[in-house]
Amino acid sequence: MLAENLSYALVQVLHNFGAAGVIAVPLFALATGQAWMEQRRRLLWLALLAWLVQSLSGSGFGAVSYSFYERLPDLTGVALVALGIKITSTLIAIALTIVALRTRTQHSAAFYRHSWQTLAGLGILALTAAAFLRWFS
Amino acid sequence: MQCKLSFSMATLLIALGLNATAVAAAEEASVTIKSPADGATLDAMEQHKLVYEVVPGPRGDHVHVYIDDAEVDILRELDSSYTLPTLDTGERELCVRVVNRAHVPVGVDGCVTVTVE
Repeated sequence: MLAENLSYALVQVLHNFGAAGVIAVPLFALATGQAWMEQRRRLLWLALLAWLVQSLSGSGFGAVSYSFYERLPDLTGVALVALGIKITSTLIAIALTIVALRTRTQHSAAFYRHSWQTLAGLGILALTAAAFLRWFS
Repeated sequence: MQCKLSFSMATLLIALGLNATAVAAAEEASVTIKSPADGATLDAMEQHKLVYEVVPGPRGDHVHVYIDDAEVDILRELDSSYTLPTLDTGERELCVRVVNRAHVPVGVDGCVTVTVE
């Protein structure tokens, strides 16, 4: 029982910090105007790390459940849709950050602003879906 | 020295007591479906309530309701009733399963089979 609760709690810790990161990093970038290239790249790496932590810890919940009960959580209806939204947002955000990190071309300030807005929007969408996943399953 | 021995024994007794409580709580986890009764015949045109009583035990948190193994709702009250959706005619299995906070069934459930006409 202790091992089970501890496992879920540790996964939850990672998931919470990942959630903070996927929102905080793009908002920080937008608030500061991410003026120069190196700062922007560092923030992109941070955003990528946050989304990877989110996806791995999200899978971690399933892994802990499976290791203790040999089955995954019972999700249907709204909860299943919410999980789908979370996974889709995560995949898009990871793809977007990787593309941005690989692009060395200098774009306009408006382009970067829109990119960070998109990342912030995906973070807000994923966290909103998380609440529905938590309470509708 | 005697004080230390007494303290150690008290700690051991508390630990054993807590363990015994945990084991007892684990054994007590149960689901009782009070209504409909197992084998009952239900009128397809009427609304029916599933009356249940759940002791979640240390691993459980709330329950999920299933009709023919398909989840239909989540219930957080442990001693209550649930208005069943319209049931198709034929033999139907109604189950209440205890799940943990992550919504994983912990292996404690109660089921009844009814005939809907």
